Amino acid sequence: MPALLVDRVSKSFGGLAAVAEASFTLEEGELIGLIGPNGSGKTTLLNILSGHLRPDAGRVELDGEAVQGLRPERLAKRGILRMFQLTRVFRRMSVLDNLMVAGCALGLGQGEAERRALELTEDLSLAPVMRLDAGQLSGGQLKLLEFGSCFMVPPRLALLDEPFAAIHPTMKEIMAGFIRRRHRAGQTFILVSHDMPVIVELCPRAICMNAGSVIADESTRAVLSDPVVIEAYLGGAAA
Amino acid sequence: MRRHLTVGTRARARSELVYALAILAAVALAPLAVANDYWLGVLIVSMYFALLAAAWNLLAGYTGQFSLAPAAFGMIGAYATGLLSYHYAVPPLLGIPAAVAIVGLIGLTLGRVVMRLRGPYLALTTLSFGEIMRLVVSNSINFTRGDLGLNVPGILESRVGYYYLMLAVLLAVELGLFLLLRSRAGLYLQAIRDDEVAAASRGVRIVLWKTLAFALSAAISGLAGALYAHFAQLVSPELGLLSQTGLIVSMVVIGGMGTLVGPIGGAFLVYVASEFLRNVGGYQLIVFALFVIIFARFFREGLWGLLRRAIA
Repeated sequence: MPALLVDRVSKSFGGLAAVAEASFTLEEGELIGLIGPNGSGKTTLLNILSGHLRPDAGRVELDGEAVQGLRPERLAKRGILRMFQLTRVFRRMSVLDNLMVAGCALGLGQGEAERRALELTEDLSLAPVMRLDAGQLSGGQLKLLEFGSCFMVPPRLALLDEPFAAIHPTMKEIMAGFIRRRHRAGQTFILVSHDMPVIVELCPRAICMNAGSVIADESTRAVLSDPVVIEAYLGGAAA
Repeated sequence: MRRHLTVGTRARARSELVYALAILAAVALAPLAVANDYWLGVLIVSMYFALLAAAWNLLAGYTGQFSLAPAAFGMIGAYATGLLSYHYAVPPLLGIPAAVAIVGLIGLTLGRVVMRLRGPYLALTTLSFGEIMRLVVSNSINFTRGDLGLNVPGILESRVGYYYLMLAVLLAVELGLFLLLRSRAGLYLQAIRDDEVAAASRGVRIVLWKTLAFALSAAISGLAGALYAHFAQLVSPELGLLSQTGLIVSMVVIGGMGTLVGPIGGAFLVYVASEFLRNVGGYQLIVFALFVIIFARFFREGLWGLLRRAIA
C-alpha cells in the first residue's frame, strides 16, 4: 500500500482547471520533487493535500484511507504537515512558543514539547534567537522556523512549498541538510521547488506538472531531460 | 534599531502579572487615602470595568476576535441575578454563580455561530446581538421593568466590603487568566490571533478554541455584571449601551491590548478620568475615541508598551 495515493484529483476556479485529473502515488520514505512552471497547479495540489482546498473530484488516500476534503487540523493530526510558500508563523510569539504550539497541538505535553523545541532550534541554528518574537526574525529565519514547526512530531508526510525561495545560501544548506538527514531516517516528503540543482541533489524522483496535469513522473534526471518537460518550461519554440 | 525586549510569551505574562499585582496592591491600599464613599464608589465601578476589560482583552487581545458584545454580556449577567432574585427570591449567593453560568452558556451558543465569522462580520453580528438583547430587556416591561430599572438586593453592609469583594474577584480573574496563558490553551489562543490558517495547519482546533474563549470571556463579563448589580442595587438596560462597550474598548486599547496589565491599568485610568471629565458631559467619549485612534495607530501596545520600553 502506498503512503499517499492521489487519484484523478481535479480542482477548478471558475473556468480555469488549476488541477486536472492529477494522479500519482508516493511510497513510505520517498522524497519527491514536485516541479512545473508557474501556474501549473503545484500549490493548488498541495492545498488540496493539506486540506486548505476541497477537490472538485478525485480521491486522496493516506495509508489506504480516504482523506480528501478533511479540514487542515484533522489532516495535521493524521500527520500531513506543510510549509506555505508565503511564510506563516505566529509573529507575536517567541520562536520557542511557535514550535511549542505545533508540538502541543499534536498531543505532546508542554515539557516534552519544550524539550523537542530546544532540540530543533539547535538543529536549525535558531538557538540564538529562540526567545525573540518571530516577527523580529529575518526572512530566512522565518522559513527555518516554519520548517521546524512541521517536525515537532515527525509527520507522516511533509509538504514543503518553495522552502528555499529567497533565503540566504547558508540557511538553504541548513534546511537541505536537515531534509537529507530526515529522509535517510525514513521521512516521507513532497518538495515543491524551482531550484533545480537542489531538486536534483535531494530528490531521487520527480513529478512535473503543467496546466494542472502530471506530465512526467520518473527519476529526477529522466524528468529533467524529458522533451515534454523542457517544452512545458520553455514553451513550444524550444522543443 | 529596535531593541529586543521579548523573552517568550510565558515569561512576558509573568512580568506583566507582577505589574498587574502592583496595581491591585495600590488599589488595595487606596481606601486608606480615599475615605469618602463617592470615590470608593468610583473605584468599585472601575473594578467592574476592569473585569469587563480583562474579559474583552482575552478575546480581542489574546485570541484576535473583535467582539462588540462585552457590555451586553455584563448587562445580561446583571439582569440574570437580578431577575432570579426579583421573581424567584433566589439568594445572591446562588444568583451570581447562576448568572455566570447563564451568560457562559449564551456565550457558548453565540460563539458556536459567530466564531466561524471573521473581521467585520464578527463585529457586526456581536453588535447586533448586543443591541437586540438591550432592546429585549428594555421592552419586556412586565418581566424586567424595562427602562424603570430593576431593584436588586445588596449583599454587604459597607461600601468598603464591596470594594474588597470586587478587588478579590478581580485578583482571582487576573490569576486565572495568567494560568490560562501559561497553559496549552494560551499558546493556541495566541497562535489563532497571529495566524488562523497557520494554527489550523499545525493541528490547532481553531473553532473549538475560539468558541471556548468567547464563552469564557462572556462568563467573566457576566460575573462582572452580576457583582455590579448587587453593589448598585439597581440595574437598567443602559448597562448594555454600545457606548459602554466603547468605554471598555478604549480602556483596553489605551492600557495595552494583549497584555495582562493593560486592561486593568486602562480601566482605572479611563474611568477615573471620565469622572473628572463628567462636567464636560458627552465630550469625554470624544476624548477617549481620539486616544484610542492615536494608540491603535501609533502605540499598538498602549501605555503598558510605552512603559515597558521605558523600563527596558
